[in-house]
Amino acid sequence: MSKHFLYKYTPVFLLFMSILNEIDFNLEFKYFSFNFVYILIFYYSLKREGGIGYILIFIAGLFNDVINGLPMGISSLSYLLLCVSAAYLRNITLRPSLIKDWISFLISILILNFITYTYLILFFNYEINYLYQTSNIIGTFLLYYIFSYIFKFYNDFVLGKYK
Amino acid sequence: MEPSRDDFVIAVRSAFLRKGNQQKFSLLSLILFSIIFLILGNYNFKIINFNKIVIKEIIYYSSFIVNLPENTIKKSFNKISDHFDHYDDYLITKNQLKELKDKDLEKKIIIFENVELKKLIDDYFVEDGQAFAKVLIDKESPFLRSIVINKGSRNGVKEGMAVYDDIYLVGKVVEVNFLTSRVLLISDINSKVPITVQPLNIQGIMSGLGQRSGQLQYINKEKINNDNDEKLIVVTSGVGGIFRSGIPIGEINSTDILLGKKLIVNYYKDFSQLKYVKISSHKKENINIDQSNKAIFKANNKQIAKMNSQSKDIKVLRQQKIINEEVQRKLQSDNTRLKKYLTDTQTKLIESNKKINAVQKKSEDLEFLELNLSYGHKCRKTMFRSHLFKVGTDEYRNCVLNRGPIKKN
Repeated sequence: MSKHFLYKYTPVFLLFMSILNEIDFNLEFKYFSFNFVYILIFYYSLKREGGIGYILIFIAGLFNDVINGLPMGISSLSYLLLCVSAAYLRNITLRPSLIKDWISFLISILILNFITYTYLILFFNYEINYLYQTSNIIGTFLLYYIFSYIFKFYNDFVLGKYK
Repeated sequence: MEPSRDDFVIAVRSAFLRKGNQQKFSLLSLILFSIIFLILGNYNFKIINFNKIVIKEIIYYSSFIVNLPENTIKKSFNKISDHFDHYDDYLITKNQLKELKDKDLEKKIIIFENVELKKLIDDYFVEDGQAFAKVLIDKESPFLRSIVINKGSRNGVKEGMAVYDDIYLVGKVVEVNFLTSRVLLISDINSKVPITVQPLNIQGIMSGLGQRSGQLQYINKEKINNDNDEKLIVVTSGVGGIFRSGIPIGEINSTDILLGKKLIVNYYKDFSQLKYVKISSHKKENINIDQSNKAIFKANNKQIAKMNSQSKDIKVLRQQKIINEEVQRKLQSDNTRLKKYLTDTQTKLIESNKKINAVQKKSEDLEFLELNLSYGHKCRKTMFRSHLFKVGTDEYRNCVLNRGPIKKN
């Protein structure tokens, strides 16, 4: 298995595994949960142009909707909006900084969660546990920092920068 | 430098419309696609519903397949851990059962012995009188460690009665007035109490030191050791009949034993904090065991002896069982070995018989051939002797072996 294959397809594999697997990465402790898929998509959309293909992200969103019983297309929309945000940030960034990425990630997830929840409440009469969602957003935001280091380490490791 | 409006528009346009190297759709088209999906999902279009069903089926199966290894691992792990748990439980239960079986008999023996001993003690010491008193004065005198209590001869207090705080020995009454009495504490230097050091069961006398401790006197120090790291407890021995035996007093300072110093007893009670005390006396009563009691004791003793012997027998039987099992195992292995030997021997025998038969046949053949040379002509059928036998027939063979045809009388 070549380095580039691993480099290219590991995020795709992780994305689909985290969506299809029963033990997804949306861990639910009493006051702590986080959305791994958001972190994964944002990081790879930001760091690599077309890191995880948009089509694949779209399909992953559909998969997520089916598994979680959400209206079809809602997750795809939120994932793609996250990609838009990451692409925009990539376009305007001259000197990348993790802190800036981090803050942008927070703003992005706040906006897209707002859109998602609004849509779910207005059109589908969903009841949302705001405490859980808030803790999820905070957890996702906080763990982005750690995961970005892990992903960076993995990418460097796969590409053999540590040799 | 702040980005201008044009830069913002360019960046947004690029984000939405720019396709990557291997992207077939722009983000905008996919977003529009998902919005269309969402809007159409609100209305029950047949095509959308059909698509939904197909996608759901695919995803459910994919999810099931993806989860297969994980579920298999989970199930296997649970199964294995369950087996281990069951096995551990089984071992624990087995051990517990064995221990309980052993203990059951021992317990019965102890209960009987205990009953016997209790009977003996209760008969030996009988409580004569008992009273509770309030401590009136407990001023520490430099010369005498004593207290004054509010009970006197009017309440039946007599000189020499033992004084307790809870179950611990405090002292004895040395002076009795009509309404009050003086109690000499065991911490007083003049107080001498016959004691036993438990669990070594060594007798001695304890004298007070004027403080919260006493000193052991007239005791065999060489016998006192603390090899088992057990606390050495000082209790009354009951010698002299003033105090009954077994009243706790204090503990021996273990460092004194190690250093070989004077043996100091730390009292359980702080005598400066006494408020109420119990006064009681015990008299030694002659044991008058009547015939019926004797008979009961005898029967019980017999039963104890019987149970003791039974427990010994059980131990012996257990050992015997182990030996028997070993013998049985050996016998089984011998048996298997012998069976194999027998089979081998039988096979050999059959082979030998076959060989013998072959040899016999050969010798017969040889004999026949020898005789055939000599007597063959007498038996062979010819043109002129047609009554004889054809060569190669059984009759011919018999004739040759008979050395010629059998003559008929």
